Amino acid sequence: MLQYVNVTIDGAPVRAEKGTSVLDTAIHYGICIPHLCHIPGIHDMGACRLCIVEHVRNGRSKVTASCTLLVEEGMVIRTNTDRILKMRKNIAELLVARAPNSKAIQDIAVRCGVTEVRYPFRNENCVLCGRCVRICKERAQANALGFIGRGKERHVDHPPGKLMDYCKNCNGCILFCPMSVTPCGGPMKKGEERLCGKCDSQLTADARKMPGVCVWCELGKGFQCSRYLAV
Amino acid sequence: MAKINLDSILEGRRSQPHMLVEVLLDLQDQEGYLPEEALKTVSKELGVPLIDVYRVAHFYKAFSLKPRGKNVITICTGTACHVRGSDLLVNQVRGQLGIEPGETTPDGQITVECVNCVGACALGPIVIHNDVYCKNMTPGTLRRKLDKAAGKKKEAKDA
Ligand code: SF4
Ligand code: SF4
Ligand code: FES
Ligand code: FES
Repeated sequence: MLQYVNVTIDGAPVRAEKGTSVLDTAIHYGICIPHLCHIPGIHDMGACRLCIVEHVRNGRSKVTASCTLLVEEGMVIRTNTDRILKMRKNIAELLVARAPNSKAIQDIAVRCGVTEVRYPFRNENCVLCGRCVRICKERAQANALGFIGRGKERHVDHPPGKLMDYCKNCNGCILFCPMSVTPCGGPMKKGEERLCGKCDSQLTADARKMPGVCVWCELGKGFQCSRYLAV
Repeated sequence: MAKINLDSILEGRRSQPHMLVEVLLDLQDQEGYLPEEALKTVSKELGVPLIDVYRVAHFYKAFSLKPRGKNVITICTGTACHVRGSDLLVNQVRGQLGIEPGETTPDGQITVECVNCVGACALGPIVIHNDVYCKNMTPGTLRRKLDKAAGKKKEAKDA
């Protein structure tokens, strides 16, 4: 039998299935927590930190990633306090500085309210979200991809030899990689990177007034918000 | 390449993924590095996907995926040793052997590596020569050590 626990998210008492993450629960109830590395049905690794929330316990709050936080009885979660919104905006800003050539990440930046990028653009082609690695391991069960190296040398690679010795050609990694769709204006060259922001118009007035509520924003499609993937 | 004997290392550890690091450490001790073929066998015998074997092997500085020289010189470039002048030691290596840290001399005698702190900061700069810790190293003492390590080979050739 399924077991349920009661949690309070942004003041709303909700009932969640035991063993699910706070992020899944929030999305299920239409509470918007922007996220990048989470894919429904695949293990979370908490790589992008976009989904941070405040977990209030004994009068103290701790900021933590909601995708790796499992629901517990009596939990109190806040998803869009000023503190969280500010931190999340900063994380989105760092992401867009690292990889401006991704439509998904540009969209997330818009959704998180980034208006300027104060960091130097690096224009990398991977944000180490680990989506490809986990898809390959869990859905394709091919184990063809993995993280190699650590610190600033960490990158996605395949075991030595040919990738084709392991790959099952399922294309999952490409489908789920946030880098595989470039911003509408085409890829930006080195030195020409900017915050795209064109999709700002797609963010309806409601979304701006109620940052914590999922309004099925068009942007979500761009960054594969699990709201769209789950249905 | 001679066939690597993994039986003694794998004995009693087969199908136990959690033994991965132990197996790799023993393999590193036996061979001096982690050969590709051996890693494939390890992956199969322990039931760990090959990519995970590589991930672990790349993560720890204790493992090397390239063959290493007979003499492994490890220079500590941690904070304390850096302050005490370990960058002079690294420069000494560059000048004397013409190799960068992480590389091996073409004759396969000396490999130079850098690590960040080995826990003996008060005695720094520390150089580890094949598991022997040498304290208070200076470019001069390192030069003599390297000469000796390279020289041994010359005598062997002459004889
Ligand atoms: S296409 Fe190949 S590498 Fe990509 S997820 Fe599928 S099996 Fe893995
Ligand atoms: S290649 Fe793409 S999916 Fe994989 S970690 Fe990098 S950004 Fe994420
Ligand atoms: S979705 Fe939680 S850290 Fe990326
Ligand atoms: S910094 Fe060299 S031993 Fe600690």
